[in-house]
Amino acid sequence: MTPFELAEPRSLKDALALLNTEDPSVRAFGGCTALMLMMKTGVFQPTCLVSLRGVEPQHAEIQPDGGALRIGALATLTAIGGSAMVRKAAPVIVNAMQTLSNVRVRNVATLGGHLAHGDPHMDLPPVMIALDAELTAVSVNGERKLAVADLFTGYYETALAKNELISEVRIPSQAGRRSAYIKCTTRTADDWPALGVAVSFATDGKVIQDARVVVSAATEKAVRLRDAEAALNGATVSDAVLARAGEAAAAEAEVVGDARGSAAYKREMLRVYAARAVKQALAA
Amino acid sequence: MQRNIRFTLNGRPVETQVGNHQNLVEVLQGQGLFGARESCSQGLCGCCTVIINGAAVSGCLTLAPLIDGADVRTIEESQPDGKLDPVQQAFVETGAFQCGFCTPGFVLMTRQLLDAHPQPTDDEIRHYLAGNLCRCAAYPEIIKAVQLAAAKCKG
Amino acid sequence: MATTLGKTNSGAAFGRSIPRVEAQAKVTGKAEYVHNLRLPGMLYGKVHRSTVAHGRIRGIDVSAAKALPGVYAVYTAADIIKLIPEPYYGPAFHDQPILAVDKVHHVGEPVALVLAADPHVAEAAAQLIDVDYEELPAVFDEVEAMTSKAIVHEVLKPAGTFPDLKHLKGKRDTNIALDFHLRRGDAQKAFAEADHVFEHTFRTQQVLHVPLEPFVTVADPTPNQLVIHTASQSPSFVRIEIARLLGWAENKVRVKVPYLGGGFGAKLYIKTEALTAAAALLAGRPVKISLTMEEQFYQITKHAATLRIKSGVTNEGKVTARECEVWWNGGAYADIGPRVTQKSGFTAPGPYDIDHVSIDSYALYTNLPAAGALRGFGIPQLVWAYESHTDMIAKALKMDPLAIRRKNILREGRPQATGTLMRDAGIEKVLERLAQRMDWEKAFDKGGGAIRRGRGIAIGFKASISPTTSVAIVNVSADGSCMVYCSTVDMGQGSDTAMAQFAAEALGIPVESVTVVHPDTDVTPYDMATLGSRSTYHMGHAVKLAAEDARDKLMQLAKDVGLSAETTPIPDIFRKKYGMQAGNVVGVGSYIPSYTSPDAQGQTDNATPFWMIGATGAEVEVDTETGEFKITRLVNLVDVGRPVNPAIVETQISGATMMQLGFTLFERMDFDAGQCTNASLADYKIPGIRDVPLVMENEAVDMVQQSGPFGAKGVGESGTFGVSPAIASAIDDAVGVRLTSLPLTAEAVYRGLRAQAGKPLDE
Repeated sequence: MTPFELAEPRSLKDALALLNTEDPSVRAFGGCTALMLMMKTGVFQPTCLVSLRGVEPQHAEIQPDGGALRIGALATLTAIGGSAMVRKAAPVIVNAMQTLSNVRVRNVATLGGHLAHGDPHMDLPPVMIALDAELTAVSVNGERKLAVADLFTGYYETALAKNELISEVRIPSQAGRRSAYIKCTTRTADDWPALGVAVSFATDGKVIQDARVVVSAATEKAVRLRDAEAALNGATVSDAVLARAGEAAAAEAEVVGDARGSAAYKREMLRVYAARAVKQALAA
Repeated sequence: MQRNIRFTLNGRPVETQVGNHQNLVEVLQGQGLFGARESCSQGLCGCCTVIINGAAVSGCLTLAPLIDGADVRTIEESQPDGKLDPVQQAFVETGAFQCGFCTPGFVLMTRQLLDAHPQPTDDEIRHYLAGNLCRCAAYPEIIKAVQLAAAKCKG
Repeated sequence: MATTLGKTNSGAAFGRSIPRVEAQAKVTGKAEYVHNLRLPGMLYGKVHRSTVAHGRIRGIDVSAAKALPGVYAVYTAADIIKLIPEPYYGPAFHDQPILAVDKVHHVGEPVALVLAADPHVAEAAAQLIDVDYEELPAVFDEVEAMTSKAIVHEVLKPAGTFPDLKHLKGKRDTNIALDFHLRRGDAQKAFAEADHVFEHTFRTQQVLHVPLEPFVTVADPTPNQLVIHTASQSPSFVRIEIARLLGWAENKVRVKVPYLGGGFGAKLYIKTEALTAAAALLAGRPVKISLTMEEQFYQITKHAATLRIKSGVTNEGKVTARECEVWWNGGAYADIGPRVTQKSGFTAPGPYDIDHVSIDSYALYTNLPAAGALRGFGIPQLVWAYESHTDMIAKALKMDPLAIRRKNILREGRPQATGTLMRDAGIEKVLERLAQRMDWEKAFDKGGGAIRRGRGIAIGFKASISPTTSVAIVNVSADGSCMVYCSTVDMGQGSDTAMAQFAAEALGIPVESVTVVHPDTDVTPYDMATLGSRSTYHMGHAVKLAAEDARDKLMQLAKDVGLSAETTPIPDIFRKKYGMQAGNVVGVGSYIPSYTSPDAQGQTDNATPFWMIGATGAEVEVDTETGEFKITRLVNLVDVGRPVNPAIVETQISGATMMQLGFTLFERMDFDAGQCTNASLADYKIPGIRDVPLVMENEAVDMVQQSGPFGAKGVGESGTFGVSPAIASAIDDAVGVRLTSLPLTAEAVYRGLRAQAGKPLDE
C-alpha cells in the first residue's frame, strides 16, 4: 500500500466538507474492510481517506421511530445483529447476519459502508429492499431520502453522489408481514453467494399481499422481481402458485454467470430458491 | 502520512510512529510480536486476529492509525499466573492444531465465542469460527477443543 | 532427572498419544517461523511478474522503479548472470531461471526484483517496472501439449541429481519432459479375449497447496557463509542446489528451517531460495522475500491430469487386462513432475490383481504455473480415475461395488504391475474394515421425494519414493538428556514428536528427556526431504539406528568404567568417566532402503520399501431440485503400519481427507489465456469449519510394517486417496449421475439430472 493522508473529523458535517472535492481518490470509510481490500490489491490508491469513526456517536445508534426503526449508518453489523430492537422489528436481518462475512468483519463493518459499496454479493441489500427500507443521503448540499431499492444502479454502482454519505436507514413497520432471506453458496459454506433471494409480504395467514421478491448476487445488482411479486399478490399459497412465482423470477431476472455457476444454472436455482424463500417466510 | 500513536498493548502503554498506510499486523511486528500473522490479506483466514477494545478484528484490515487510544490484546498476552488459559489448555489436550500458523487466531476467536456463548452448540461453534481457516484442517479437533474449553471454564 | 537406561522397544514411548512437543509454543503464538524473522539491515524483495503466458522479452524498463525514493536496487536476469552464469535450477531438469532469461513461460513468472528497506516501497516500485514482450503461441491443455506446435522449452537440461531420475532426457522439440511406459503380459490380446471391454476418460483440475504461511526466505550473506533461513521441506536439497548454482562447497551455504506454517509438498526443492540468495549476495545485505497469498498461485500447483483407462473384464467381473494412459499437466517447469509421472504412474491400474497391464504416463510442459508434489503425489488423480472406472464397470455388470473389489484386489504376496510382490500391504484388511464400518451388507435408505441418498467406497495405494537417504545423530548429554539432530522438517505433521518418540523408544529413556534440533545444515545431517510420507519410515529408521548406536556406546562407556548401564543412572556413568558432569555420547544412524530400477518394460522386483493404503466410504444426500448435495458421513480407513502416535495419526488422516475434500468439491484454479483469474482466498475457496462433514470417522487398521522402524510407516497422504471417487460413486448411487471431471459441483450434478430427464440445460 502507498502512503496517504488520513483525516479524522469529529462531526459528520466536517466529514462531508472534506468529501466535497473533485478528487476521486478522497474517500470516506466506516469499517474500512472493503476499502482496505481495494487498497491492498492496488485497485484504489487514495490521496486522502476520511475516517468516520470519530463523528458524533448518534450516527451509530439504533432507535425506534413509532413502529419503524432507524439505524444509524455507522452502526456496526455486530451491533445490528445483536440488537433486541432489530430482532423484534425485523428478525430476517438478524438471521442474515449469522452467515454474513465473519465475526471480525461484522465487528467493524458498518451498515452505511455495506450498502454504499454497491457489491451485489452483499447480504443486507436484498433484505433491506424486501423490507422497503429507506435511506437518508447527506452532503454539504443537504439531505435527501432514497429507497434502498433505488440505491443500486449497476455492478458496484450506486445512486450516491461522490460527495454524499448514507447517514441513516429507516425500516418501516413490518407489522402483519413475513420475511425471509436465503442464499446459496456453490463452493464452500463461507463463499460469496451465487444467489441471494429475499422475500417479504403481508399475509392474513393465507392470501399474500404486497409481496416483494428481491434477487441478489446472481444479478449485477440487487433488484426487485415484479413479475414474481405479481404471481404472489392476491394468491393463496400453493405449490402451483410458488412454481409460477419461481418461474416468473427465473424468467425476468437478468442473471449473469461467473465462477460460482453458469447463468443458466443460477436461473434454475432462482426458480427453486424463490419458492423456498416464500415457504420459509411462511414458516417463520 | 506518518503519525505518533499511543495505545495499550497487552496491558502496557505503547507509543510508536506509524505510517497511515500500515496495518496493525505491521505495528505488532514492530513491537516484536509475531503471533498475529498476515496470510490471506483479506480478512478471511483469521491468522491475524487481534482483540481491540474487546472485539476481534482482522489485523491485516486494520489501519495502524486507527488503534490510537485503543486497548489492544494479542495471543502473546500472558495469563496472570504465567500458565496457559483454559482455551489454550484445551487446544493442547485435544491436539487442535498441526502447523500452528492459524492457531493464535483460533484461540483468540474461541475466547470471544465462549464470552458470547459459554456453552456453545456444535452449530454455534461452526458459525462463529467460520471466518478462520486451517489448511491442515484440524477442524474436528478444534470443535472438540472448544467444547472442552467450555467445560473447563464452567469448572 | 536421573534417568537410568530402561528397556528398549518397551512401548513406553512408541505408540502413545503424547501431546506434541511444540504444543505450548504454538498455542501461545511463540512458535518460530521464518515469517517472524527480521535481521538488522534487512531489505525486502518484491517480484515483478510476467503478464503473458509465453513470450520473448524485448526489453525491461526499470528506470521508474529505480527512481522511486527508498528503492535500494532493482535486479533482472542480466544482474543474476553476473553472479551465477547458469542461473537455472530444478530437481529433475535445470529448466527454471532465477529471473526470466530472454523468455517467459507462464503468467506470474518472476522477471525482476526490487529491494527496499520498506516493503511498501518495494511493492510500489515493482509495479512501475515495464516489460516489453513479443507474445508467442501458448499451450495450456496437457493433451494438446503432446502434439502442440507451441514448444515451452527449446532446450532441456536434465539435472541428474536423484538416482531414480538419472534416466531423464526429455524429448527435444516436444513438450514431453518424461514418458514412462510399463508393459506386463499382453493387454491387447487379453482385450480381444475379454467378455467385456470398458473404456472411460477422467479429468482432474489444477489446484494448489495454499499453506497459510506463504513461501518465505531470508538470505544473510555473512563473511564466511551464505545463511539461508527458509520455509522449506528440503533443507539439504536447498544447500546442495544453491552451492551448485554458486559453484561453492556445500559448507559455504548454511540452511536453517524452523517450523513451517504448512507445506503439503509446496515447499520442496528450490522455491524462493535461489532468488533471495542471489539478491542478498548482489546487495551485500540480508534480504527477505515473503510471497503474498496471491503470489502462491504462480509458484507451484498440483497437476491437472487427463486419464484414460480401458479394462477387459469377464462376465463374472474379473479384470483380466487394463490399459492406462495418463497425461500430467506439468506447467512451465518440470519441478518434480517427472517423478510423479513415473512413481505414481506405475500404480495407475490400481490395487488390483491384473495379469495384463499397459501403462503410458506423460509429464508435459504447458504455459501454466508449474505443478509439482502435492499430498499424494499424483495418486489422488489416479485413484479418482481407476475407482470411478471400477464402479462404472460394476454398474454395467450389475455387480455390487464391494463385490467387484473383493474379486480383484491385490492380496498379500501377489505381484503388482511392476512385478514387485505386495508385502505388508493391508489392502484387503482396509477394504473389509471399511465395508464393516459402512454397514455395507445392510440395507441402505435411499431417501425419497426430492432428497435422494447414496453411498460409495473407494480404495487406493501408493508406493514410497525410493531410494532415498536419511541420516540422524542422537546425542546423549552428561545429565542423561538427549538431543536428536535430523533434517526432517516439522511442517505440522508432528515429526518432532515422532522423532522424539523413536529416539526414546530405541534408547530406553523417557520421551520427555528428548528434544529435537531443527534442521540446520551446519548441524543436522543430510536428509533427502520431508515428502511423500517418507520421514516416519526413513528418518524413523535413521533415528532408531542412531539411538541404538548411542545406547551401545553408553553401555560400552559404563562397562569401561566398571558400571552396569542397566542399573546406574546415566549421569553417574558420565561422572565416573569424566569426574564431573561432562562429555557426550553421540550415535549416528544412516538409512537407505534397497531398490531395483525398473527395466525397459517398467518391471522390477523391488519398486518400493513399503506401500501406503487408504480407503474412503461416503454417504451423501442429493437435492434433486438443485443438484446440491451434502456429505452426511465420511469414513476413512488407512494402513499406516503401527501408529507412532495414534492421536496425531488421526489428525493426519482427517486433515488429508479434508484437503482432498476441497480438491473434490470446490477448489479449482481458473485461467483466462494462462492468467489465473481467482488467485486469492476470496475466489479460490478452501474448506472451512462448516465444510467438515457432520459425521467423519477415521481409523488406522491393525497392521505392522515388518520392515519399518518399530513396525511403522508413513501416514500423511493415505487419507487423500479414496475421497473423490467415493463421493462421485455415492452421487451416482443416489441419483444415477456419473461425473467424470473434478470438482464435483452441484451444477454438474444438476446438469446430469437434466440430461437424464432428456431436458439438458443450456451452456
